[in-house]
Order: sequence, then C-alpha cells, then structure tokens
Amino acid sequence: MPTSATRLAPQTPPSGRRAPRTVRYATILTAAALVAGTGGCRRHAPRQDAQTPVQGGTLVYATDREPICLDPHVQGDMPQVFVAGQYLDSLVAMDRSGKILPWLATDWTVSDNGRTYVFHLRHDVTFTDGTPFTAAAVRANLDHVVDPHTQSSTAGGYIRQYAGTDVPDDYTAIVHLKTPYAAFLEVLAQGFLGIESPRALARPRDENCQSPVGSGPFRIVSWDRQNEIVMVRNPAYHWGPPTALHAGPARLDRIEWRFIPEPSVRFAALQAGEVDVIDSLPPEAETPALRNPDLRLLVADRPGNPTNGTLNIRRAPFDDIRVREAFIRSADIDGALASVYFHHYRRAGGPLSPSTPFYSADFEHHADYDPDRARVLLDAAGWTGRNAEGIRTRNGAPLVVHVPLKASLSASERTLWEQVQATARQTGFDLRLENADDTTVNEREGRWDYDVRIGYWNTNTADVLRIVFSSAFLGAAGVAGHHQNESGFSDPAFDTVVNDALLTTDTDRRRALYYRAQAIAASQFLQVTTYPQSTRLAISSAVHDVRLEPSLNVTSLYDSWVTR
Amino acid sequence: MTGPIVSPERPARGRICLLARRAALRVGGGVLVLFAAATLTFAALHLTPGDPVTAILGGPSADPTPETIAAARREYGLDRPLPVQYGLYIARLAQGNLGQSFSQHMPVLAVLRTQAPPTLELMLAALALAWILALASVLLTARRGPAGAVASVIETIGAGLPQFWLGILLLWALAFELRLFPPAGNAGPLSLVLPALSLAIPLGGFIAQVTRESFDLALDQPFILSARARGLGDRAVRLRHALRHALLPGISLSAWAIGALVGNAVPIETIFSRKGLGRELFLAVATHDMPLVTGIVLFIAVIYILAGLAADTLYVLVDPRMKAPRS
Repeated sequence: MPTSATRLAPQTPPSGRRAPRTVRYATILTAAALVAGTGGCRRHAPRQDAQTPVQGGTLVYATDREPICLDPHVQGDMPQVFVAGQYLDSLVAMDRSGKILPWLATDWTVSDNGRTYVFHLRHDVTFTDGTPFTAAAVRANLDHVVDPHTQSSTAGGYIRQYAGTDVPDDYTAIVHLKTPYAAFLEVLAQGFLGIESPRALARPRDENCQSPVGSGPFRIVSWDRQNEIVMVRNPAYHWGPPTALHAGPARLDRIEWRFIPEPSVRFAALQAGEVDVIDSLPPEAETPALRNPDLRLLVADRPGNPTNGTLNIRRAPFDDIRVREAFIRSADIDGALASVYFHHYRRAGGPLSPSTPFYSADFEHHADYDPDRARVLLDAAGWTGRNAEGIRTRNGAPLVVHVPLKASLSASERTLWEQVQATARQTGFDLRLENADDTTVNEREGRWDYDVRIGYWNTNTADVLRIVFSSAFLGAAGVAGHHQNESGFSDPAFDTVVNDALLTTDTDRRRALYYRAQAIAASQFLQVTTYPQSTRLAISSAVHDVRLEPSLNVTSLYDSWVTR
Repeated sequence: MTGPIVSPERPARGRICLLARRAALRVGGGVLVLFAAATLTFAALHLTPGDPVTAILGGPSADPTPETIAAARREYGLDRPLPVQYGLYIARLAQGNLGQSFSQHMPVLAVLRTQAPPTLELMLAALALAWILALASVLLTARRGPAGAVASVIETIGAGLPQFWLGILLLWALAFELRLFPPAGNAGPLSLVLPALSLAIPLGGFIAQVTRESFDLALDQPFILSARARGLGDRAVRLRHALRHALLPGISLSAWAIGALVGNAVPIETIFSRKGLGRELFLAVATHDMPLVTGIVLFIAVIYILAGLAADTLYVLVDPRMKAPRS
C-alpha cells in the first residue's frame, strides 16, 4: 500500500486481476487512445477569447488515484495533498524561487538557537464549520500530525523535531522544536501540513477522513467513493495565498473531482468534453494533446528526490561501489526515456530534482550511460567470467540483480525498467524484474530483500537528502525493518553535513552544505535516477487560470474560471 | 399392514410439509455455503505472503513504533494462534459483525452499502440485456432456414468473446470514436450501456445456445403437433408452447451467470472506471484488507444463494409440473 509521504506513489492504480491482464488492457487501451487521438477532436466547448474572469459555474476535474483519506495528516500520499490544495490553507506559502511568504501567519520570528518559532496569525480567518482560526488551532493541528494514532508518515520525516506549542494569546503561536530545523517553514508550506478546523479534528480519525474541514476557498460537500468528491465555494474566503492571481472568494461555484484510473479513458473523457481538466496525462496522449487546439498543457516538475531505483548496498553485488557505478553506467536512461515517454520526459541525473531549492546542476551527468567504463569496472571488481547467456560471473556465481515491482506500478514505469534490463544485460547484468502484489513487495523492502527499489520522494526542501540517505532513517532494528533510507547508506560525514544544514537559516551556508551533500550522495552511486516527478495537466480551452501551487506543484483551482 | 396413504382430504398439508422441508434444506445449504466461503477466504488470505499489520499501519515507510505494532496485533487478534484467530473470526461473522476496513477507513458494511448498488445495477442490466438478445435471436430465427444457422454461429462467437476485450472494443468504437456514450463514470443510464453490453453479449450467446437447443427439441414434441393440429398459428405455438419448455435450461444458466457476472465485473468496472464491488474487491485483495475481502466475498455468496432461490421459484412458475408434490 502506497502510504508514506509522497513516496512510491504509483501513477495509476491497479487495473486488473493479474499483472499480465493489466498489461494487456493497457496495451490495447493505449492503441485505442492513439487511434482516437489521431482521429482528432470533433466536439468541444466553443473557444472564446474571454479576458475577464467569469464568476460561477462547475469545473469537472479527473484524476487517476483516489485518496485513502481526505485528511492529509493521515498517512500522507500525493492524491490527498491535491484535494487538500482546494479546501485547506497553510501557515505559510512558498513562491517559485523557494522564498517563504506569509499566509495564515502574517509574520514570524525564529529564535537564535533555531528551536523556537513565534508565529503571528491573521485575525479574520474562519473555518467553514464556523470555528475561528486561532493559535489553539495551530497547536491542535501540529499535535494531531505527531499523534501516533493519526498514523501520519509525514510526522516521521518532516516534523519529528516538534516538541509542542504555547498559546500566549489567541493570535500568537509559539512552536518549540527539540532540535534546530531550518527546513521547518518549507515543510509547513506543503499541503500535507495544511491547517484543519480543530473542532473537526476532535472527531474520530475515520470520520475526519470522510469529511475534513478547512478554511480554504472550497469546502467538501460529499465523497462518493470510487466516483467523485464534490466541493463548493466558500463565500467568506478572503485570505488567499500571496501566490494567487486574485483576492476574494473562488470564482467557481463547484468542483466535481472525479476518479478515472485508466489513463486513456481519462484522456478520452477530456476529449469528449465530459471533464474539463485531467491530471497525470499519459505519455502516449501528450503529443495528441499538444496538437489539439482545444486543449492546453500545464506541466511542472516536482521538487525532491527524483524517480529512481535505489541500490541496496547492504548486500552483494551492490556492496561494491565499482559494481554500483558499473550498473548505473550500463543503464541507457536517456534512450529509455525517449522511447517510453515519447521525448516528453527529461532526465534527472542527480540526487535532487532541478526544481528543488539548493539543487546544483553539477551532478546532472555524474553517472551517464558509459558501457565501456562499466565493463572495465566489472573487470576490476572481479566479475570477469561470462556464462552461456553472456552474464558476468565471479567465482562461478552469475551477476544477478533483484528488482521487486509492485502490481500498482504504472505501465510506463514498468516498460522503462524493461529497457534498463535490456541495456544492463549487454554489459553482463542479469536484471530480474520480480512482479508481486504491493503488500508482498512492501514486506520484502522491510526485510532489505532487494537489490533495486523503485520509488521517489516529493518534497520542497533539499532536506530530502537527509531522509533518503542519512543513518537516522535506516529504521529501528526489530521494528519490522521499516526504513526510508532504502540504500542502507550510512556515513557519519554525510550525516554531519545534512544535520548541520538544519542548524542554520543562512541561505549561503545552507547552499554550501547541500552542495556537499549532493556531492557525497552522487559520488557513492546510490541511485539510478530517471526523471523528475511531475504534475501534468491537460486543460480544456474553456477553462482559465488553473495554477500550480509552487510548494509541491499541486493543482489549485482557486483562481480558475470557465467560459461556456 | 398397508403403506402410508396420503389422504385425499389433506393435500394442502402434504404440500406445506414439502415446501417447509425444501425451505429448510435451502436455508441449511445457504448457511453451509456462507460458512465455506468464509473459511476459504480466511485460508486464502493467511496463505498469501505479507504481514497484515504492515498493511494496517500503512506500508514499510510508515515508521510505526514497536508499541503501535503490538497494539495493532492485539486489536486485530493477530497475536493469537491461527485456530483461535479462525474461531474469533467465525464468531464475529456469526454476530453479523463484518468489522472495519482498514484500507478504506470505514466499516465494511458502509463500503458494501455504497459499492454494491452500482454493481447490482450493472448485473441486472447485463442479465436483462442478455435475455433480450438471446430471446430475440432464438424466436426470430429458430427453424427458419439459413437464418437459424447464421444466428447460431453468431451466438457461438458471441459466447466465446472475452468480456474485457469486448469492453475495450466498444469503448474505442462507441465512446472514443463515435462519441455516442460517455467513456467513463457512473452518471446516468447512458454510462451503463457499454459496460452492460460488454457483459451481456457473451452471456446472451450462452443463453441463446441452450435455449435454441431446447427450443428445437420442444418443436419436435407431439404436443406441438397437436397444438398445430388445433389450428394454432406459428407465433402462438412458438411463444405459448415451445418457449415455455425451452426457457428452463436458460433459467438455470442465469443463476450461475449472476455469480460469474460479479467476477467479470472486476475488469469491466476497471476499464469503464465505474464504481462498484468488482473494483473494490481488487483493491481490497491488493492491500490485504481482510475484513473487506471477507465482506465482499460473503456478499457475493449471498447473491449466489438468492439467485439459486430465484431460479427455483421461476422454474415453478414457468413449469407447472414442478408444482405437483411427488407422492
């Protein structure tokens, strides 16, 4: 089950009883979609060159995955934060340059020791259940996220340092941290830590999952499972984020947020005018969508650790850095991306996605495709023999790499790894793609029983390097082996760098430290990084001003309006 | 001594006894089927790999504390020996307690309440469509020269088509290309047409084949000859006499088909992005959500049992011979 904060979140939900059948549907549906795409669009909302925003109307949004719970504090997966973007506000906002701006908090101060944050709050904010927004609400929300009963996976990675909140008066919240945490404001800008009504939070968890309450531009009216979430405008709203295009209440009356898991069916629904906006535009539909004059694309890379295969260095063969480098250099990722994603996805070569704050382009090409060097490295590492199939051997044992694949992995990601398999074989790696249901793969990952783990981590801070590579995230022994550091990398020097980066709010100092962290991670050859996670919307020409909130590039329909 | 004589004055009593015995057998059989379904589900879920606590607490990256894991094990009884777990499980089910779905964060009964109606709607629509297609094909073409042979071939082909393939074909032709029907969703009767057709065409082919065969046999019966001798027209002979005989195998087949329809609803609901039990069952199995899997399997078993009962009742209505008690 994909549950952790923004982690291995499959782009498409499972779509058949067994994997082979899923693949069969996918192939046939893809073919059908291509034919439909080349057939052209026959009917769509008439194009209007409207300049002035129109008040009212309903927008139908179709997405691939249904949230497990609408409260983004619980577990914490991408579909939750997309819904949260419409009905929740955050304490602070983040702009495209990574700068933190006021939102529900008008201003704040950070103590010299970095452990106390004093937030001054807006006085005029009310939740849609009538509860006023006060410092007590801030305390209730932060306490709720760290409460083990909430089952938040965000808490572990993002606000483990949280100690408690003091409320000296209604509009001042003093947040105490156990240790300095310079990324605190950045994670507060994410929808995962959106502020909910304390009265609604006091209800049982599963009830709050069904009908959470925020102070955002829309409120949730109903959630019909496997079908749609209906949201209506919050007429009192006048505290939009500083990144928004307008002030005052939302322009739309209503949002119908539908779930259409099959990618080509979702695109067909958009072409047929059944829905106005779709996200997770499938790669094979991208060219037809670009050619269709009635559609617009909105694409943005998400910050964090890009989509990758993380190498398990705790066991052979990847306990040897030479074999790790050889493997990464034997994988023709650029070629695979071009053929699987029709040249629409670009490569992410370093440990951070380019849209992450403090990203450095210097590591983009640290491990490019170079099969000749890979062969030399394998020779040096003692994998000198070859068996009948051309697989390298050492002392008679073949060079086998186990890659568990979840049933919920998207068809395109699976194809990408089949391409990696093919190119790695030429260098002498026997890459075994092992399909299993999600629970089985989760269990194998918990036991470190893999050589490559496929995943990603979306977050708006370079502190992701600490979550993915530092020894604090190796998991406690005996706790069923839960860990977020999937490579098993443990290096005191690296730990010092990423921990020091949390102690300072000085931008230049942070940049230097995160540069060092990227350099260490890259030099250790811990991941085959493939492409940045991205938000990919296709939008009908009748819809205007759909925006992506910069913190995680999550859809915001607050400014949107429709003409028809 | 003479044998027991059914008194001619009390035929009603004999009949009530017979009906009561039948009903008791039915109910007993039904309970047995439910029990077997519950047991098989339990066994299947415990034989598959994967720790349910991992799923309950949200995967390997959820980072729960050892205390949380221990508490969850206790809460779900997973720390007990397997036979005790099984006993507790059956006892809870016997009290009608289906439990809480941990992947959906809601009670299993609530999941069934929201997901069952669209699936039942799809099943009934598919069954009705299948019968309409089958009856039209048989009544219009049986014993009518080459038309009958052609229709029979079409029925055979129809019966052999895989539902998911047919679904994709219909989706492509009628929704993607011709835009006659919406490609996805649950909104309105139009969205029901393509999924229902994908299920109805193969089933209609099956029903038509068995009905055609018995229809052919019925037309050769002496009572048909005597009906024709009485001067009855061809249409009346077909509809009133032959059809009544010919329906019975199709009715038995329908009882079986209802169960099969739920299974086939999994790919069809997925392709057409419809909400329903089929898709829910797939998700529940993928997340090892045992309470939800059990709830859906038991619900399907209940549908099977009810379909069997309905088929029996229809038999009696269609075939008057079934009403007479055997003496």
